[in-house]
This record gives sequence, structure tokens and C-alpha cells, in this order.
Amino acid sequence: MSRKPSLSRRTVLRGAGALLALPWLEQMLPGAARAAAPSLSPKRLAVFYVPNGIHMPKWTPTGTGPAWELTPTLQPLASVKSDVLVISGLANDAGRPDGDGHHAAGTAALLSCTKAFKTEGTDLRAGISMDQVIANHLARQKATRFASLELGIDAGRGIGNCDSGYACPYANNIAWAGPHTPMAKEVVPQAVFDRLFGGTHAGETQAQAARRRAYGMSIIDSVREDATVLQRRLGTTDQRKLDEYFTSVRDLEKQVDAMGTPTSACGTPTAPGGDEDPRAKTKAMMDLIVLAFQCDLTRVVTFMLANARSNKVYGFLGLSGGHHAYSHHQHVSSNFDALARIDRWEVEQYAYLVRRLKEVKDAQGVPLLDNALVYFTSEIEDGNGHIHKNLPVLLAGKGGGAIATDRHLRAPGIPIANLYISLMRAMGVPNVNTFGADGTQELAGLGG
Amino acid sequence: MTSRLHERRRWLGLAGTGCLLLLAGCKGDSPPSARVLPETPQDDPPIHVTGCENTSIDPGRVTLHRLNRAEYDATVRDLLGDTTHPARAFPVDDHGYGFDNNADVLSLSPLLMEKYASAAEALIESAWTRGTLSTCALDAARPEPCARDILSRFARRAWRRPVTPEEVDRLLRPLALAKQHGDPPEVGVKLALRSVLVSPHFLFRVETDPEPGSKTPHKVSAFELASRLSYFLWSSMPDEALLQAAEQNKLRTPKELEAQVRRMLADPKAQALVSNFAGQWLFTRALDSAEPDPTLYGAFNDTLRRAMRQETELVFQEFLTSDHKLKDLVDAPFTFVNDALAAHYGLPLPGSTTPQRVDLSEHPERRGIFGHGSLLTVTSNSDRTSPVQRGVWVLEQLLCSAPPPPPPNVEGLPPPVNPSMTMKERMALHRSLPQCQGCHRMMDPLGLALENYDPIGRWRLKEVSGAPVDATGDLPDGNVLNGGADMRRFVKADPKLPECMTEHLLTYALGRGTSEADECAVRLIAATAEARGGRLSDYILAIVLSDHFTSRRGDTEAQSP
Repeated sequence: MSRKPSLSRRTVLRGAGALLALPWLEQMLPGAARAAAPSLSPKRLAVFYVPNGIHMPKWTPTGTGPAWELTPTLQPLASVKSDVLVISGLANDAGRPDGDGHHAAGTAALLSCTKAFKTEGTDLRAGISMDQVIANHLARQKATRFASLELGIDAGRGIGNCDSGYACPYANNIAWAGPHTPMAKEVVPQAVFDRLFGGTHAGETQAQAARRRAYGMSIIDSVREDATVLQRRLGTTDQRKLDEYFTSVRDLEKQVDAMGTPTSACGTPTAPGGDEDPRAKTKAMMDLIVLAFQCDLTRVVTFMLANARSNKVYGFLGLSGGHHAYSHHQHVSSNFDALARIDRWEVEQYAYLVRRLKEVKDAQGVPLLDNALVYFTSEIEDGNGHIHKNLPVLLAGKGGGAIATDRHLRAPGIPIANLYISLMRAMGVPNVNTFGADGTQELAGLGG
Repeated sequence: MTSRLHERRRWLGLAGTGCLLLLAGCKGDSPPSARVLPETPQDDPPIHVTGCENTSIDPGRVTLHRLNRAEYDATVRDLLGDTTHPARAFPVDDHGYGFDNNADVLSLSPLLMEKYASAAEALIESAWTRGTLSTCALDAARPEPCARDILSRFARRAWRRPVTPEEVDRLLRPLALAKQHGDPPEVGVKLALRSVLVSPHFLFRVETDPEPGSKTPHKVSAFELASRLSYFLWSSMPDEALLQAAEQNKLRTPKELEAQVRRMLADPKAQALVSNFAGQWLFTRALDSAEPDPTLYGAFNDTLRRAMRQETELVFQEFLTSDHKLKDLVDAPFTFVNDALAAHYGLPLPGSTTPQRVDLSEHPERRGIFGHGSLLTVTSNSDRTSPVQRGVWVLEQLLCSAPPPPPPNVEGLPPPVNPSMTMKERMALHRSLPQCQGCHRMMDPLGLALENYDPIGRWRLKEVSGAPVDATGDLPDGNVLNGGADMRRFVKADPKLPECMTEHLLTYALGRGTSEADECAVRLIAATAEARGGRLSDYILAIVLSDHFTSRRGDTEAQSP
């Protein structure tokens, strides 16, 4: 059942932003799941991570409840203030490291609320992240072609230690498929674009699609047999590595299986350029998130604006020092000013995403934002003291009515895992009652 | 800091009695210089390492090793002649223990599998079109014999071992499938070829144990050893000569192994050691993301960035090809500069835009790695030098004696509250905190001795504040390092230098982190390498001939939950 989308061509073009000069197809065919539940606009989760904490005095609104005003750092949200909920006071106790290593440990626990095992490599262990719990749930329903997308703009320097004895995967990934498996992120907009839009076979007949599926399956069968034979000859540690292989093959199989199903007919938009400027890269990634949601290619996205402990130099903000160095502010006002400038820029990028999601409507004519949950946070509160309490938290979008926005909610000392229980439930995951190390119930007051 | 040898080799030991001993060695008049050593003695004397006499050395085990991006690209280059670098579109590999070939942290995510599948399709289509894969003509009526030939040859090379008849039978299955769909046999063969590239036997370097649950060491198979060698030296698959040596079971004797190593080091593919080992050990890779503040250090640009990177790579390359003593990296009396970099350094211009080898006998300040703009830049902050980062680099990358990380709340240098304060005064100020003093007493002097190099590696006599540079570092024992020359002598004389270089090289060679259990092996390899002459090739050979490299064992780890 195909349906004309309610997207106007202009909306689509705007949605594509500077990224895409389209030959945009007229039809915006909804996904397979849409057919199963035609009356529902899908819910979507986007996580926007920033490293090194936030300078909280310029971030936290003074008022509470609906009586809140935008602070200097939150000012970029002015045009979407009514769609934003600020939550103060949430804590992620599991982010505290053994000894030092707050950035890596905090980041590994960011969405998993599970304490990361301190290791430089051997015996990597964290926990499944809440976005992946949601992705798994949606994958079981075959909701979208991609269960989730993991994005970032920071490839990392690839040298030395990552953070005080914590392995780099802890610092470079917020999405974890399970205790041992970080979900590698893509940092090149072009590669993301190719993945989302490159594999479409427009105009393919059903027979051709069936043949392609059969061929794809033959490869999967073959390599799975290789792996099964191999598995019997391996010790426990190697079997664990091979488990990652089996999991990935299963995932690939789902995609091959879905071949020929018109999951996305988003046309063949033009690819983003190869600009290395972090501003251009970030914007390209935001545009890709919007497109992926709009085309219903996925409903779960995580994005890392930089890796944990990033010492990026924001020269375009007029700053000469590195982000991490500033975050150890030593209570010096010039450092506070530098941090506030970086924080505000980060919020601007987030605000852009929120604004775009508000402007773009889904196939039912509803703004994407209405049913979305757009979550902003960092691994610590303040970079100087590495505090894992009172984390900076923003939620934009109403999550289909789960969230009452335009408020400042105070939740001092409440585990952030409780927020995640609420988010997972809002995204339709059934029977989530506990999560991570300390999540025991939904976060009270989210719905107003 | 790390759970490896560092923990045990208390850096404080270095700050104590060790220093006195070392400084005694620093006072010699004639500066050491790089030189080509005489031939290796014919009969290597047996090496004894104190404290390890009665230790049976456990070779440990390497986790199933996924090819990283560099290895994938080099492998498809050698397997298919494909130079398109398909792995550039793969997600970035994480690194562990300082290297991105660490098997434990090389995960395989669904995203990566998707990339592998599409890369395989593109690679095979393009190689097929180029005609590099067909060894015979596929007869439409009776394609099997030729298909069998193509697939068994390809799988042998791609999987770096002989394939069994059953495996070839399995690979032939898509032939029938293609026929069923009315496609010519080449479609089936291409499907099979694609599956070879997505198979775990291609994506992983597979090593098996006869008894996976036993900790008794055993020699790795000849093919596993061939792969260990080729991925260590080339970041790529074994070539035909190596595969045949394995097939003929020739890789057993030290003599044959040495011959192979020498052959492989002479091959241009050994350039992989420069970009993948040295690039990470010496931090050259970080140059790409270095961002010196343009208002203060506007002289830094991409031309210099490239020239600095080439300088360090070419120097390391020369150590590889011309057999200098590895220790001489610290003070090698030559380097490679083009006009831009020479001007930047204040050296006579070689009159070329491409790097030229230049003699540094008149310019001791540029000797060795500490005179390299690459290292000096990546161990600086964007707007000022960082004696701490420089000191930590020396302790961690050369002496494996890095101090523990700073406690919370005190990380980082205090901001320039008083701009007239010199770097030395500022370091002294933050060393005045009792919780900092212990560690910084060792880090700071090593970095302070390099204060004559600004954040982009230029020689300077004045700090940004205008104050004269004070490049003296006071060691914990009261001795003073006066500038870079003293510092080079100090580092070079440290007995931990050979062991530390071994540790990094071994970590890279095996693709696993080292731990306390590897200590005797590291010491033995270092002693062997030094006894052979101490050249880079001696280190490589000592590693390749060690039990750590030629053996492995199973693991008895309990089944993970």
C-alpha cells in the first residue's frame, strides 16, 4: 500500500539542507512497519553527546517548572523553547571510575549506566546501552532498515593511552550492543550517506529482488557455516570474538531478508561534501539524522560531537586552547568564558537538529519532533572536578505525549537510569522496570 | 595508568637510585652518534637475564584478530591488486595499548559487517572486470573444473592457508544457485569469491590451539606463523614465497626465519612498519589533528605539517633500511628536511621541496626524535609548550616508566595568571602542591629540558612572555639536565630504553598488550637484540625468533557470563 506523503517538495528540499541538491522522488514510501500500524507516527530517539561536561552556572535555569528562562548557554534554543525540557540533578553513579579515568568511564556508562571494567584492552566490559535496547526491540518488529545509527565527527588521534588505563572503546563509543561490543560509529558524512542511500535498487522487479536476496543469503549461509565450523576449534575468548561475527551476520541477514521490500524510497539525494571543518561535518550529520528519520530508515540515532576527553581547539570560536584543557578551569574566569562559548556552540548544533525536526513533517503530516525524543547530555557535570552528579540534560520533543516540555524539572540525585527507563518505555519497549546499576523506576514528573 | 609493565616498574625507582647511576653515564665527553655497526657475530652467545633464569616463559595468547583498516587495505591490495583503500569508508578502529592492531579491542560491529559485505561485492566486481581472478575459461556447459581452480587458488591466498576439499565444495554451491536463476556460471563464481572475503577466515587472522583449554604452550602452525610475520612487517597477507615456505614447512629454523625477515624488510611493503608502528609509537599520527593556535603560531601550515611527518617517517625508514642502532633514534646525527622545514628549523636550505637527508653535525639541537617538529608539536598544547606532555611522552614511549595520572581536580597546568611568569616558574608552582610533587619531579625536568623548542618545534631563546628560556630540569636526585643535549644523553643511557622499545615493538608485533607475565620475555628479547648489535632489524629478529612470536597457548578462562 503506497501512500502519497504529506511532505511538500519544498519541505523535503529544506530538510535536505545544503547537504543535498536533489533529484528527489515524489513518493516517500513509508516503511514496512508503517503498513502494520498505519495510523501511528513512529517515535524516534536521537542522543546528542558532548564531551568534557558543561559549565553549569551559565547553563542551569534559575526558575523551576514552567517558570523558567533560557540561560546564556541555552539561548540558542530560543525558537524551540516550548519544545524543550531541562532536567537538573540527575546522577550517573556507574560513571565513576576506579581511580582516574572519569571521561572514559563516564562515557562508557553514559547510556548503559553500567560501570566499565578498567582495562586497556583485555576483558573489555561495559553494558548494553539504552538506545540498543530500543533498537533491539524495534529490530524484532522489523520496523526500519537500520535498527540504529551510530554517528560522530571525531575519528580520534589513534595514539597513546585513551584515559588513565581505560581502553579507547570506552572513550569513543556511547552505544554498546552488549557488555563486550561497542557499536562503532561513522564519522564521515559521505560514508553515512552511502550507507543510507547507496544500496537502493530503484525500478527493480520483484523477481530481480528475490534473486538478489537469494544470492545475498547464499553468501550469508556460506560464511555462517565457516564460522560455525571454526567456532568448535576455538577457546572461550576467541569464541566471544566470533560471537560478534555471528551477531553481525544475523544483522546483515535481516537486511538481506528485507531486500525487495520498499523500505525507503527517499530517492537518490546528492552526497555531502568532504569538508573536514567540524561545523560543516556536524551540520551534515544533523541533516543526515533528519533525513534518516524522515525516510524512516531508522528510529534510533546516537551522535558524539567529539570523543570523550576531546581536546579539540575551537579556533572558529576565537579560542586558542583545547576543550579538555579549558574544562580543567581551576576556577579561573577566562576559562569559564571559554567553556561557555564552547557549550553554547554545542547547544546551537543541538538546537539546529531540534529545529529541523520541528520543521520537517512525517508521512502523516506531523512534525517529526512531536513524536521524537532528542536527548542532550555529557559524561560529567563539571570538567574540573569530574562530577558524575547533576549532569547536563536536555530533552526536546514530546515523545508522542510522554514528555511535557517547556519546563525545568529538578530531580536532584535521581539516577539517570530512571530517565532511561522512561525513554525506553516511551519508545515502546515493554516490561522495562530496571536498568543498569541503579535504575529502578520511571523518572517521576516527565509527563508534567 | 596502565596495567602493563609500567605498573611494576615503579617510575619512582627511576626517580631514585637509578638516576644517579644514569647521570654518571651522562658526563662522558664524546657525544654518542648513530653509526652502522659491524656484522652480527656468527655465533650468538647465549643471553642471560638476571632474575629470569629459572622462569619458564609463557608465550601468552593473542585473541582472534580482526584485520584493522590498514591491514584490510594492504591485504586487498596484495590479494586483488586493488588500491582503492576500501577500508577508508569503514568505521575507525579503536586502539589499545597504544596501537590500533590490538586484537582485544578490534570489535566487529554490525555496521562493519555491512561495510565488509559491500566492499566484498565491489572488490570482486572490479577485480573480475580487470581479469585478475580468472585462471581459466569458465565453460558454460561444464564450469565446475575451472570454478574449482579459481576458487581454491583464491581462497588459499585470501585465507592464508591451504583450503580443504570440503571447503572448496562448499564454495562451489552458488554455481548451482546461479544456474537455477538462469545466470551464467561466472555469477556463481563471483558470489563464492565474495563469500571468501566475508568469511571469518579472511576477516580474522585465525590461530587455533590443539587443546583450546590447555595452558601448555605450542608452536603456532607454519601458516599462522607466516601470517604473524607478514602482518607484523607488512600489515598485509603473506606473499607467495612465504606461503610456499609454510607449505614446505621451512619456517621452522631460525635461519630460515631470519632469511625471510631480511627479505621482507627489504621489500617496499615494510613501509607499513613506518606508517603503522612508528606512526603510533612516535605519535606522528597525531600531527593530522594538531591545531597550533594560528594567532601565536601562524607559521604552522599544512606544508610544514606534511614535511614534519615525512621527516620522522624518513628517519625511521632509514633506521629500517640502513641498520642504525635503534637507540640512536634519540640523537641520530642526520634528518630529512625540505626547504620549508629547514627554514622553520633554522637549518641551511637543501634547495628542494622534497625532503633531503641532511647532516646535523653542525646542528646538534636537531639531533634525533627530540629535534623533530612532529613530536615537539604533538606534545604541546595549541597555545603553549607542555613540559608535562613532553616528559610523559619520554617516560611512556621510551622508558615505559610513566607516572600514574594526576588525581582529580589538579589535571592540567594552571592558566597563565601572571603572564610574566616563566614556564619553569609555573611548573615549580604546580609542583609545590604536595599531591603533584611526587610525579612531576620526574616528568617536568625531562620536558623542561626541551623548552628551547616552541609549540611548533622552532628553536627559541625567549618564551612568549619575552622572558629568556630556562631549559634546565632539576632531577629528583639533585642533578640538573641543562637543555636538550643533556636530556638526550640521559634518555639514551637509561637501561630501560632497550626494554621499553622492545615492549612497544612486541605489543605491535603480537597485537596484544603486554603484562607482568611478559616481563622476562621482554628483557630477554631486549638483551638479545642489543647483543646482536641493537639495530632495528636486530630487535625485529629477536622478536620474531622469540617464543612469544612463534608459540601460543589455549586459555582456561571460565566461560563468560
